[in-house]
Amino acid sequence: MTKTAKTLFSLSMVAMLLLEGCGSGKKAEVPFEPKYDKDTEFSLTVAGSYGNFESLEAEFERFYEYYPNANLQYVTMDDYNNVISSAIVNSEPPDIFTTNSYMIGNEMYDDMFEACEVLSDSSVGIDYSCIRESLIRTTDSGDVVMLPIFTTSYGMLVNMDIFEKEGLKVPTNFKELMDVCTKLKNAGYESPVMGTDRFSGSGLFNCFVYPMYAYNVIKNSDKIDDLNNLEPSAGELMRPSLERLYEFVNSDCIDVAKCEEEIVDEYDSVIMRFFEGDVPMMLATGDVVSGTAKRESKSDAFSANPFKYRFFTAPAGDDGGYFINSISICFSVNKNSRNIDMANEFMRFLISKKELDNMAGLKRLITPVDDFSADELYSALADVPDDRSFSDKETGLLDQAVRQFRAAIYAVGNGTMTVDEAVAAYGSIPEE
Amino acid sequence: MKRGLIIIINLLIMGSILFFIIRYANIKAEESNKNAIIAFEKMTVTTNQIIANYLEDEQHLCDIWANYINRSAEGGTPMTAEDAVSFIRKAKVSSEIEGHLIFLDTSGREGISTAAKVSDPNVYTVSYKNINIFDNIEDESDTDEVVSLTRAYTNPMNGVQSIAFLNKVTVFDEERGETREGLLLRVVPLSRLEQKLVFLKGEYENVEISIVDKEGNYVVHGKSFKNSNFFEYYKSYNTSTSEEYEHVIKEIAGGTGTMPIKNFKKEDCILSYTPLETMTTWFLLAYIPAKDLVVSRSIDWQLLGIASIGFLLLLIFNSIVMMIYNRELSEAAKQANQANEAKSNFLSTMSHDIRTPMNAILGLNEMVLRDSRDDNIRMYAESIKTAGSTLLSIINDILDFSKIEAGKMEIINVEYSFASLLNDLVNMVQKKAEDKDLSFNLDIDRSIPSVLYGDEIRIKQVIINILSNAVKYTKQGAVTFSVHANKLQDKPDIVMLKVSVADTGIGIKPEDLDKLFVAFERIEEKRNRNVEGTGLGMTIVQRFLDMMGSHLEVESEYGKGSVFSFELEQKVVKWDPIGDFEEAFKRSIIERKNYHEKFTAPDARVLVVDDTPVNLTVFVNLLKKTGLKIDTAESGDECISLFTKNKYDAIFLDHMMPDKDGIETLMEIKAITDTPNIGTPVICLTANAISGMREMYTNAGFDDYLTKPIDAERLEMMLLQYLPKDKVIIASDDDDTEEYALPKFLYDIKELDLDSGISYCGDEEDYLETLETFLGSAKKKADEIEKYWSERDLKNVTIKVHGLKSSSRAIGALELGTLAERLEKAGNSSDEEVLDKELGELLSRYRQLAKDLEPLNDLDDI
Repeated sequence: MTKTAKTLFSLSMVAMLLLEGCGSGKKAEVPFEPKYDKDTEFSLTVAGSYGNFESLEAEFERFYEYYPNANLQYVTMDDYNNVISSAIVNSEPPDIFTTNSYMIGNEMYDDMFEACEVLSDSSVGIDYSCIRESLIRTTDSGDVVMLPIFTTSYGMLVNMDIFEKEGLKVPTNFKELMDVCTKLKNAGYESPVMGTDRFSGSGLFNCFVYPMYAYNVIKNSDKIDDLNNLEPSAGELMRPSLERLYEFVNSDCIDVAKCEEEIVDEYDSVIMRFFEGDVPMMLATGDVVSGTAKRESKSDAFSANPFKYRFFTAPAGDDGGYFINSISICFSVNKNSRNIDMANEFMRFLISKKELDNMAGLKRLITPVDDFSADELYSALADVPDDRSFSDKETGLLDQAVRQFRAAIYAVGNGTMTVDEAVAAYGSIPEE
Repeated sequence: MKRGLIIIINLLIMGSILFFIIRYANIKAEESNKNAIIAFEKMTVTTNQIIANYLEDEQHLCDIWANYINRSAEGGTPMTAEDAVSFIRKAKVSSEIEGHLIFLDTSGREGISTAAKVSDPNVYTVSYKNINIFDNIEDESDTDEVVSLTRAYTNPMNGVQSIAFLNKVTVFDEERGETREGLLLRVVPLSRLEQKLVFLKGEYENVEISIVDKEGNYVVHGKSFKNSNFFEYYKSYNTSTSEEYEHVIKEIAGGTGTMPIKNFKKEDCILSYTPLETMTTWFLLAYIPAKDLVVSRSIDWQLLGIASIGFLLLLIFNSIVMMIYNRELSEAAKQANQANEAKSNFLSTMSHDIRTPMNAILGLNEMVLRDSRDDNIRMYAESIKTAGSTLLSIINDILDFSKIEAGKMEIINVEYSFASLLNDLVNMVQKKAEDKDLSFNLDIDRSIPSVLYGDEIRIKQVIINILSNAVKYTKQGAVTFSVHANKLQDKPDIVMLKVSVADTGIGIKPEDLDKLFVAFERIEEKRNRNVEGTGLGMTIVQRFLDMMGSHLEVESEYGKGSVFSFELEQKVVKWDPIGDFEEAFKRSIIERKNYHEKFTAPDARVLVVDDTPVNLTVFVNLLKKTGLKIDTAESGDECISLFTKNKYDAIFLDHMMPDKDGIETLMEIKAITDTPNIGTPVICLTANAISGMREMYTNAGFDDYLTKPIDAERLEMMLLQYLPKDKVIIASDDDDTEEYALPKFLYDIKELDLDSGISYCGDEEDYLETLETFLGSAKKKADEIEKYWSERDLKNVTIKVHGLKSSSRAIGALELGTLAERLEKAGNSSDEEVLDKELGELLSRYRQLAKDLEPLNDLDDI
């Protein structure tokens, strides 16, 4: 596994902290012990972009058991990415706010991170050793200023009842996928695999081959700078993924036109179409999966004929699927908080296997904790070999490089470019 | 009432009161809750007003800005955007408030802000590209809303949650060289609005105010409301059908009201809602946990708890007090019972102790009456009988009263002869009246049926009491006893007797009439102290009449006399009229005969047991003429001994005996099997005559009981009942004719008064025996007197003369007796002169009498 010097440095710092905070190996989690008087009265505001954050509000309630006089509130902010920097220094700043992995290293957010509490500081007392190492992000100076709360991935929702009914096993590699799709097609499933035909990360093409591409990038780390610099020659690294995509969209597995017609957005529609019960495999991100629980009752079809479903990696590789673990959302603490101690206390409470699993379970996202057993929906991810399991930060790809790849797969998947054309056009492939 | 029942009743009463309190508390709590909810709703409306006023004020300020800018444009000198923002910057007072002038027709919905971006102080450009608050701005501008307001959003310049008041302005675009329309926003931090609601915290600590638009999206977001949309929140946490959900949406959009909802903890909450006055598309929601509004209910429960404990304490206290009182009452009742028992014992003892000697007195007196032929003696005996009867009557009154008081007096109806009843009454009273020289008049209806059905004894007792009273309290004049009978039309088997007793006595004052029926109360006690009585007579009369369904009426005139009367229904057994009772009674008086036994039973044998020998004598003598063989025993043991040896046809056993009393003796003889007396009736002789005696004796095993003093007639009646019929010979009236005939020569002896002798000896037979005895000893006694006189043995002469006096009187030689008496006195006084002179005459007459009686020896020889 190759890493950038920055990442290496960060990881070394994290390792040091883990040795300090968690000791060697895994240890039994110590129940939360309030540091302050339980009668302490205080208010905290957590700001974020989620319209709803019920899983966090559930944690508020659990936190009230220790601090009954606390008053925590979640505030949805408009135009979050543009506003948060201002919000944390205004007259009514949030005490805790959500951040994303792409923000770190982006100079637009440098000031924001400057205003963040250093959570790796031992005086803060937050033990984040339960979080998977690969998900910890640090500043250039090695400070941990954000801690992952949810993670996501790219893969597919599988209707387990259909596979059981057809006597099929969920495919684990591309060959099996082809075989299964042929059988499903013969069994009457017009498009055994579906997904949303969108440019975004949730798009079906991205869900299918981006993990494979990322894996290839990690294996060719010497090309990362060229990719990030959008060097056309670096486009060649996309070829295996694009060819596999081409092969996929031109097989019996998927009817892209049908997908475009029937799945009109990249979230709600994906879920509701899957709940119709006739789609064996629905390509989706973890973020989309998080919306399934609430929509089960909203789907008349699912309510009438509920079925069991689980999340798997997309079997794009010859040897199997790739589990790329991306941070969905992080929490940072505003150093300018009027209740900085209690904000850190809440984070200390929240950053534990129990609470993070609880939140992930409620949100139906992938827990950042190094154990998938808490949620059966994602339990299949534990079967992915370590070799093909990695985090997105390990790719070292910058946003522009990722967007060019998305543009390439969107063009090839929709037939507007050939694989060769897309490879050749790297760095200038039209984006949405 | 048993203690458990009292406690249960108390608990039931307690429960009822508590139930009432609970119900009352619930009603009050419900009223209180309703009032609290109404108050809460009013608060919501008030809040609405405050917010509306605030929003109007803010909108007004925004409008002032816009008007100023627009007036410039209207005046032909439109401001540039920079000028407008500069103006606003000067015009606004608060640093928290910003003015944004944006142009919706630009791709980034960009414009200029009065304040620089917090994250970059050099930037005044503001963009609403990613803030979706203007989607409905065109629609809303067409309405007549007073306020044009955005939802709460994040101010892109400083990241503060804000609301913005809108107005359109016209400014000059220098680049285009023309005016263009912009949107002026007065951006106010949401906290300013929230500060307006601080006043609520005093009254409703946990109230949360939210403002939602018509889709339910929050404009102002209460912290307890999860989700980004109220209706979504409602659906998430409240179980409701789609119809109910639609109903809730309509309700909230429909006007002011209140509804119960569940919060995210599934707790009951109250939601009050009202449309914002200034913006009908926005709604104010006031949310509060239900427990905050129904707090008064818990106070009611506390009161209820206190009341319950209070009641329990009261119950326990009362139970303890009641227990103490009950113990005292129980003790008092015990003492009262003991006193009552003592009274009963006293009555029993008195009854026994008085009746026992009375038995001897009256019994022996009866013997005197039967045997004596001496009128004077008979007269004295009659007086004794009368006095004894009076005494018995007094005792019986007391005992009857005792029975009535104890509730043991019963009316026992039997068939009876009315003529016989009248006969007894007149017999009992007429003598008393005659003794007082009172005229006793009878006025008896001839048509009275001869045989009636009723309690003869009590009726007799009632009338005799009234008659006795009349005689007692009448000094001169008359007592008139009237009985009349009337048939009742509606009761063919019943006759109505009207009984009245009129006297010419002392009368009763009107004010004393009430005392008449009061026990032991005697009218004019002082004046009547010489009149016998207990003061119970009229009380008993009244009680008996009550028991027989009648009542006594009294008419009296003080000093002139009284009339006591009552009416009594009696069932008729025989309608034959009794006829002229008065005539019949007079005839019976004339024909009244001496005592005559009702039967003879020479083959029957009875045993009588009594520890008092005189009682045994009385018993034996009373039955002498029946020819019964009578064995006597003076103790229980003697009785048992005879019981095992001899066969008896009836046994009379005294109750109160020393050592072994009658009941103990009875138990023993009942246990004996080796006896010829199996089945022999045993009758208790008792001087106890108080209530309950019959039950006691029959329960003890006696066949019957007979009270002392023994009534001879009752005794004979009882024997007739119990003796075997084959051993009884009923006496006929003809027997009276077979009197013992004296030898005729006796009638010729001048010295003898035969009647006196018979009377003295009891009957002719005894008299004859006595004469024979006299004759047998006469010569010897005469010679002895003569011999002692010759020897001048004065003492022995006197003794012998004394004996001659008694024997002479016994045989009716009254004059000889008188002479002997004189000489006895002379002997006693050693008056030899008299003796010398008259002893010879005495001896001569004595020997002559003996000589005259000698034919008696011839009779014996026959």
